[in-house]
Amino acid sequence: MRRAPFDGSFAGWREVARSLLQQGVPPHQVTWLGDGDSGGLFDQTPISPTPAATTPAPRIPKQLLELLQSAARFRIEDRWSLLYRILWRVAQGDRAAMLPGDIDGSQLHKRLKAVRREAHHLHAFLRFHPRPENAEGPQLVAWHEPAHDILASASGHFAERLGRSTWLIATPDDGVYWDGQRLHYQRPCPSEWQRLAQTPEDKGEALWLAYYGSTFNPARLNRSALETSLPVRFWKNLPEGPLIPRLMSQARAGAQRDGQAEAVARQGGKRIRHTHAQPPGVSGNVDPDLPR
Amino acid sequence: MQLIEKLTVLADAAKYDASCASSGAPNRSSKGKSGIGSTNGMGICHSFTPDGRCVALLKILLTNFCLYDCQYCVNRRSSDVPRARFTPEEVVTLTLDFYKRNCISGLFLSSGIIRSADYTMEQLIRVAKLLREEHEFRGYIHLKTIPDADPLLIAEAGRYADRLSVNIELPTESSLIRLAPEKKVLTIKQAMHSIHQGESEARAEKRAPRFAPAGQSTQMIIGADATDDSTILHTAASLYGDYRLRRVYYSAFSPIPQSPNTVPFEAPPLLREHRLYQADFLLRGYGFAVGELLSGPGNLALDIDPKLAWALNNREHFPVDLNRAEPSMIARVPGIGVLSAKRLVALRRQKRIRFEDLTRLRCALEKAKPFIVTQDYRPLQASRESLLLRQQLSETPAQMALW
Repeated sequence: MRRAPFDGSFAGWREVARSLLQQGVPPHQVTWLGDGDSGGLFDQTPISPTPAATTPAPRIPKQLLELLQSAARFRIEDRWSLLYRILWRVAQGDRAAMLPGDIDGSQLHKRLKAVRREAHHLHAFLRFHPRPENAEGPQLVAWHEPAHDILASASGHFAERLGRSTWLIATPDDGVYWDGQRLHYQRPCPSEWQRLAQTPEDKGEALWLAYYGSTFNPARLNRSALETSLPVRFWKNLPEGPLIPRLMSQARAGAQRDGQAEAVARQGGKRIRHTHAQPPGVSGNVDPDLPR
Repeated sequence: MQLIEKLTVLADAAKYDASCASSGAPNRSSKGKSGIGSTNGMGICHSFTPDGRCVALLKILLTNFCLYDCQYCVNRRSSDVPRARFTPEEVVTLTLDFYKRNCISGLFLSSGIIRSADYTMEQLIRVAKLLREEHEFRGYIHLKTIPDADPLLIAEAGRYADRLSVNIELPTESSLIRLAPEKKVLTIKQAMHSIHQGESEARAEKRAPRFAPAGQSTQMIIGADATDDSTILHTAASLYGDYRLRRVYYSAFSPIPQSPNTVPFEAPPLLREHRLYQADFLLRGYGFAVGELLSGPGNLALDIDPKLAWALNNREHFPVDLNRAEPSMIARVPGIGVLSAKRLVALRRQKRIRFEDLTRLRCALEKAKPFIVTQDYRPLQASRESLLLRQQLSETPAQMALW
């Protein structure tokens, strides 16, 4: 086996992979050592990143490099071997290696799909907390626990969404801070960022929780559809997370009879009297046209 | 009334509208600009409630005071529900607050009919205008269109909204006459026509002001009347054809509190709704015609999906050789979707398709097996009777808990 140490980044891997390809080292002879990995028992000395015998650089479709870069965000032990194997096969002219129907390609596409999905989860399930107006630092903070390394590539979305607002996202591994003009990425995440994101002084969640409870239709209770779309691992960081089991058990305990939210059913109702001869009015003294 | 109490009432009042899509809007970004909000064509579901439905937009009524007495509606004037009304500013505050928290991607605003159709429509437009002009909000806005409103108001709404929708409500005119006496099919369709007109004009001229770029949709309530699936799908198909609707939403009728005797008080027919969505998808995405899915009056089968039902009724087209067949025919194989069909066609340019390739593409093999031929596989069941196959492939209908 040949040891291939690099800094753990895609750019670093790409450099080493290129020189291995030029030296004609087949995938089964390479052990990838990203940042923090140690080698195996029978490994030989590391290969130098600069090729000894220079053959012309292999021609790799640009699209493949993009796919590999994206798939490299998938967290799995030994994430680099598959990528080099596919690179090797395509460099040999076997383009099926990139396709979802192929034995390696299907693994690649599984990872790509999971990475795309996790970026989407960031956009969907991250929750910002506004900070007090006079507080120093970012206006909005969020804590998120992604399953793959998608923060750096996927968080630009929030700069488009939030205009000139300043915001901070902290995760267990890395963090981003948008100062209104530029994105600052840090890995590992500074502990000050993690503290800010995990202890927001936010008293304004009640409205959102009221909305969530009321827009739920207990007559349509469907736990499996919920868990497919909103994986349980996200519940603990969502403000509405603790509400979910409560709403489900209320629905099972009788609220499922009709669609009405319990908080609405508790209140008194109001029928509207309507006569065609007169301008429409409302029973009692309530004028429907005045905001109340 | 406190804002939070109004929100509780007016979200409850709005939730029977199934639409929550936030997709189809053009690219808008607030990066480096004042104001907030972006859209990029893709919708985002920010949360899901325990009914499994997505929360993409703040879906509320401006008010649930209503002069109409539609029997299926929780807000009908004879309904004994708490009533509330937001000011336009309150809706703006809620939208911006939820948006900054990343709880929603925009607003879906509807209203009970107060004073008149025009007045109600003006109120809805005012909210959208406030958001767009005063707060430079670039997120998604879906406005419900009041059918009898002046076409000029609909034209104005289209300048602020990404999507407009008019609900067809029920699949037939006779049901509408019986259950929604104040609504008319004619005016509903006129409103759809106005929106369609606005879209076509905006598309025809490059420099024309934008008009509801995410198009229009509608909703049909399923199970409040006795209409069968065949009629429902024919109605949907003609709406797609006549007004180029982006979506028809099918909403299983949910029992409402103090239900009038004119509508059922039963569990919502969720499986039927699901089959209708599947059939709708086959009409829009797979080139099926309604007549292929249901040759006469009646309902879609509940125990098998409509594509499988079609295949079982049309065995002369099967088995399909995946190494030779047209892509559109591959997509008609039960268990193989449009995406897998495309991938198979790409793969067969490189090599012969084998059975294990289907496993990797994660096709629903149990369903597909009797209907396909690959390099190394021919179905034993190719000659098996459809009735037997159906027994083998049908999903046992799950009993709803507590109903």
